[in-house]
Amino acid sequence: MQWIEEHWQAIALVLLGGGIWWLLPRSVSRRRIGPLAASLVGGYMLARLFPADSPVGESFLFFTFAGAALLCAILMITNRNPVYAALWFALATLCVCGLFWLQFAPFLAAATVIVYAGAIVVTFVFVIMLAQQSGATAYDQRSRQPLLATIGAMLLLSLLINMMLASSPDDLQVAAQRPTATAAAGALSVPPDQQSIAHAPMRGLGRSLFGDYLFAVELAGTLLLVATIGAIAIAPRRSRGTL
Amino acid sequence: MTELITTLITIGFVLACVLTACMYLVLAERKVSAWMQDRLGPNRVGPYGLIQPVADALKILLKEGVIPSHVDKALFLLAPAISMFTTLLAFAVVPFGPVEESFTWLRFLIAPDVNIGLVFIFAVGSLAVYGVILGGWASNNKYSALGSLRASAQVISYEIPLGMSVLGVILLSRTVDLNEILNQQAKQGIFGWNIWCQPLAALIFYVSSLAESNRLPFDLSECEQELVGGYHTEYGGFRLVLFFLGEYTHLVTISFLTAILFFGGWHFPLIATPESAYTGAWLVKLLVLLAKVLFSVLLIMLIRWTIPRFRFDQLMELTWKVFFPLALANMVAVMTVLQFGINRWALLPISVALFVLFGVFTVTAKRLELARRRRASLAMH
Repeated sequence: MQWIEEHWQAIALVLLGGGIWWLLPRSVSRRRIGPLAASLVGGYMLARLFPADSPVGESFLFFTFAGAALLCAILMITNRNPVYAALWFALATLCVCGLFWLQFAPFLAAATVIVYAGAIVVTFVFVIMLAQQSGATAYDQRSRQPLLATIGAMLLLSLLINMMLASSPDDLQVAAQRPTATAAAGALSVPPDQQSIAHAPMRGLGRSLFGDYLFAVELAGTLLLVATIGAIAIAPRRSRGTL
Repeated sequence: MTELITTLITIGFVLACVLTACMYLVLAERKVSAWMQDRLGPNRVGPYGLIQPVADALKILLKEGVIPSHVDKALFLLAPAISMFTTLLAFAVVPFGPVEESFTWLRFLIAPDVNIGLVFIFAVGSLAVYGVILGGWASNNKYSALGSLRASAQVISYEIPLGMSVLGVILLSRTVDLNEILNQQAKQGIFGWNIWCQPLAALIFYVSSLAESNRLPFDLSECEQELVGGYHTEYGGFRLVLFFLGEYTHLVTISFLTAILFFGGWHFPLIATPESAYTGAWLVKLLVLLAKVLFSVLLIMLIRWTIPRFRFDQLMELTWKVFFPLALANMVAVMTVLQFGINRWALLPISVALFVLFGVFTVTAKRLELARRRRASLAMH
């Protein structure tokens, strides 16, 4: 028991990573239920690293959404059928939006649904249906470097977790109470008693985006515009007719 | 606890009303079509065919649910459910009566604390396309696949003018809460309705939402002459009906949104104003709102048999070359008026001027293009 508590994080990472590695597609088909459960347990153990003092209902909702998001994400990267993978991606996005909503950021949740689930994944599915009318191809059947990919991802994850554990709770408090920076990250940690922001979540977000982060937003917009023009320039022209 | 029970009762009430309304909208559509084409329409079951929907529902429920052997079973079964579910979910934030005069056990709004009303509707509405896409893809049929490809292109394209047309209203009323928008219009009387400052936005919104719901003249994803039945070719019985129920629910939602965003919701001069306090005022307000919705639904049905179906490239040109710049110009106009404190009524002539300007411009451009094409084909001979 003592040993488990000492190596809690390592065990969690091994469970998560091992489950994903086992599930990644390869030439032989394998059982899926066991490894899926193992990765979910690993994810739960990782979540347990952080102290939680929320009420029972809220933490139940949190674990439901987070677990579902993890499950959908794993199923997305391990599925052989690209259409199914795209759908699992959409579901994972919806689960993350549920998490946003739990953190009093309904506008962020709705905007994410519109942009990701409503537009980007639809475009993915659209392209997949256009491109793969003859069925799945060889490169969908197995992943190229399952072991290296899993190890790399788990290393990155452990780095992130240790950084979050190392930053003291005081830092987070300070970040939340900065008067102007209530952007994406800040809006998540706005306490519900701040009526002005809680009642108009969009107002604070808009002020922050087009006040504090104006140059970043404009830069991103310009980049997207350039990319759009480039895509139009590259696209082959047809004299007449569409679908 | 009371809150929870009230919410559940309201959800049940809305569900029952919407589904019954959909049943009778089908009958209304058949009657209207018959009237426009100089026929009689369904008139055998009950007086004037009024019990026809019940007979139809019974027949559909008793039908065998066929699943073709070549389909992707899970997605094939999921698609109609998604189609129905997403359109019903949008109703969560639509106020369907005077919310301030709600009863203890029945609210006129399912989720009053969601203060991002319109954004929520767009979020849920953007998921509705999955029903069509998955239905077409899972059917494993060329016609279905073509139908769903068309549908996804169409819905993604029309979402942009749809969202941008509403931005003007949001800017003018400084909120996205539907009930708040409604109340602001009601307080200012009939000339406070948003239709006066935003007629162009209303037009773009109405037409784009027609395209979003795949109604004629925009039903390119299921046009019978080219694609058999489009994305629902392989469906039959109850699953097909779920698709249609989704479409009709969408119709009702659009009509509610148009009435609330642009026509003042339950407000009507003299009989239903915020000040009217006589007994049964809530009923009058409810009936006024429902009358506006019914009017909009009937208008959609009349449009169906008035304007022929678009060609697909015309459909795409309409949204990208006409609606998108128009909605953008409308938004810029609203922003200018608000920024420089100009009177709101200036937006009415601006909207009309924009409409006329774009009309002249696009018609001239099309004429020139046609003339050039004719010359080119003459030169080839």
